[in-house]
Amino acid sequence: MSYQKLFDSKISTEAAKAWRAQGKKAVGTICCHVPDEIIRAAGILPVRMRATDCVDSSSGEVWMSTFSCSFARSILQYWMDGVYDLDGIVASDGCMMPSRVFDNAEYIDKKNGKNRFFYQIGAPRIVNDMTLSYYVDELKELIERLEKFSGVKVTDEALKEYIAKYNEARVLVQQVAELRKADNPVINGQDFSSIILAYTDYPIEEYIEMLKEFLADAKNRKPYTEQRARLMIIGSALDDPGYLKIVEDKGGIFVADALCFGTRAFPGQLEVDDKDVLGSIAKYYLERLVCPRMMDDRATLHEYIINTAKEYKVDGIIYEKMQYCECWGGESVLLEDELKEAGIPLLTVEREEHLANAGQLAIRAEAFIEMIEK
Amino acid sequence: MAKDTRLEDAVLRGEMSIVDFCCEKVNGQIERMKERNPDLLWTLEIQRAMWEMFRDGHKNGKKVIWFGGPVPVDLIVAFDCVPVYLDTVPIRLSPNPVLAARFIDAAEKYVPNSMCGIDKVELGMTLLNQFGPEPDAFVYSSVPCDSSRIAYPNMDMILTKKGTPCFAFDTPFRRDERGIQYLVDQTKRFISWMEELTGTKFDQEKYNEVCKKTNRTFEWQGKCAELRMRKPCPLPGRMLVLNGTSNAMSGFDAMGDLLEKEYEVGEMLYELGMGPCPEGEKHRVALLQNMLWSSAGTMDWLEREYNTVAVMDAFGFQYGDIYEHIGDLEDCLRVMARKMQNNPMIHGASGPSENFIYLVDKIFENYEPDVSMFIGHIGCKHTWASAKMVTDMIQEKYGIPSLYIDVDGIDGRYKSLDEIKASVADYMDTVVNK
Ligand code: SF4
Ligand code: SF4
Repeated sequence: MSYQKLFDSKISTEAAKAWRAQGKKAVGTICCHVPDEIIRAAGILPVRMRATDCVDSSSGEVWMSTFSCSFARSILQYWMDGVYDLDGIVASDGCMMPSRVFDNAEYIDKKNGKNRFFYQIGAPRIVNDMTLSYYVDELKELIERLEKFSGVKVTDEALKEYIAKYNEARVLVQQVAELRKADNPVINGQDFSSIILAYTDYPIEEYIEMLKEFLADAKNRKPYTEQRARLMIIGSALDDPGYLKIVEDKGGIFVADALCFGTRAFPGQLEVDDKDVLGSIAKYYLERLVCPRMMDDRATLHEYIINTAKEYKVDGIIYEKMQYCECWGGESVLLEDELKEAGIPLLTVEREEHLANAGQLAIRAEAFIEMIEK
Repeated sequence: MAKDTRLEDAVLRGEMSIVDFCCEKVNGQIERMKERNPDLLWTLEIQRAMWEMFRDGHKNGKKVIWFGGPVPVDLIVAFDCVPVYLDTVPIRLSPNPVLAARFIDAAEKYVPNSMCGIDKVELGMTLLNQFGPEPDAFVYSSVPCDSSRIAYPNMDMILTKKGTPCFAFDTPFRRDERGIQYLVDQTKRFISWMEELTGTKFDQEKYNEVCKKTNRTFEWQGKCAELRMRKPCPLPGRMLVLNGTSNAMSGFDAMGDLLEKEYEVGEMLYELGMGPCPEGEKHRVALLQNMLWSSAGTMDWLEREYNTVAVMDAFGFQYGDIYEHIGDLEDCLRVMARKMQNNPMIHGASGPSENFIYLVDKIFENYEPDVSMFIGHIGCKHTWASAKMVTDMIQEKYGIPSLYIDVDGIDGRYKSLDEIKASVADYMDTVVNK
């Protein structure tokens, strides 16, 4: 196996095809409160849906209107176009846009007489004992549905097996992220983004192997030395390394992020309590830092951004806001002042899923890099 | 004669609070109404009662509690506090685009302009600290939408910095038994929180009284809704906006009084064969999303020009859940949880699209409109993202095509009344009356 697949950000359906060819099910997942460990324990392959390279989302727009997040509607487009040939979709209500992708996809599926598997769980937006137990119940129901669908009983043993695997991937991804701390890192933002995106398409075992191979070989990679500024990227879902390339071509290098298709995809470790395996999963997924879809983690999120920027010796932050993304779009209210106070320069840019305004981004990035370079 | 804009100017200069402005405005309207149309005075009384209650809360020794989204308002009232439904602010300011713009622009310094105008006004008002009486607490919910989930937590952080206590409800995405119990459990915690806030114990008797008043409100509201099902519909489209007001005021006599009067007048008009359309009702329109707050004149104009009355809007629609066992706290909390899930706007906008489709289907079944309009508030992107499913259902099941127009229900700068009328007229002339 070659780890080079880690650097190909295009959506790959080969693993899902191979999986299904064995008579097993594969489902698309939207948003990150559907624990992959559960899906795998039910014998199903989770494929985190994304919209990389989607240049035309006009059919998605017919269903979701122009007033929709283009990342979300491009996923719907890919679903309608058959880019994802899967057995269904399992989603959580990240923000309203993925929920509407789910609703429309299910509706269209039924209309076309396909009737694939669709299930959406509700994930709390506040963390406390009460919300946690609600989330546990949601996951219990998810398990029941998945068991019926795949015919595989979800046992504590299977859950623990996959927790261990995903924990291993978490450690490895964190090791990859550590590489970015170097003054001259061996990976840039585009590389890191591609590495993270690869997890969406492959079974975790294969992903782990690729990460191990890559890490073993990392020391042989030529470090990046030409950069004029160390950058961090925060904001809406970003599944396109090409976007980062535009900025890095202007002399910046992304060394940190707070993206859902970034470091936040594999945070910390899921600690298992043998007496309550499902409760442990729920606790991890609910308590980890996610995005502004949560209502009570804003201060922690801001702290994380500032601390990470310091830890990775960042010269400036680029804050990308997808048009019609309220979640991240509205996070500036207190964050802007907090970054100012912390002395961290900020560039805010609006974007769409496909790179329509590359020229403008390049100009703004260049000016920003010039301003912050040391 | 040039319009007297002294009040508006004072708000724009930041010298007058929103509450004082609204009180002055309503009182001015009432004075004019007394001269020109004393029979209609009752339509304004609720506005006066509400804004003066907000203004005088502290003077009357009560705590003023802001709330956003579906929360157990009846409990706030039972604790003898003043519940301030924040959505009433943007809705009240929306007919005046310049005024609404002051608060929208203040918010847009930080948030995207695509965010819902309702939430922008509420956030802007908090940033500018111009509501009027300082809130003693802020209670909010995780619904309806992404916009409110930006506005409320940010307002929470701003208010918390000032030492204002805040309480947040996590409203479940789906509507089911588990969701009801989840809300009941949180409401019990809320009761303890209110006890601490007010320094008083929960009083079952007081709560029973509020429940009775709320029941009265919703019984009359239900009757008014039934009136709207009749043909011809005796009540004007403009009055649909009151469906939202009852969110804030259902636990007060004034709301029940108003709806009782509305029913009485409607019944009388029906008996006389009269309604809002001068030449008799030709068409009945269902609005599939919000009321057009910033351009409510469109409703009057539709009635005048096209003899077409708006019979119901999908956001204002009230399920009208009733407390059946007053005195049984557990049962009442369950009803309240249902009310929170079935609140106007929440029922259609905040959960899975199937709820929205179901709701619109109910409206078509019960009100029998022959015209369908998705006059879509642009801030409400998630209802836009369900719109095709909803309008496909209407076309397939009822054979009625739908008009789509994008508007900003709060920010009148987006589209003028004339522009909206032109689009509606075009549709009425070329599709409905062809
Ligand atoms: S959080 Fe933003 S980018 Fe992500 S799906 Fe929602 S609207 Fe789109
Ligand atoms: S109108 Fe729509 S966007 Fe605005 S607050 Fe209500 S649900 Fe949210």
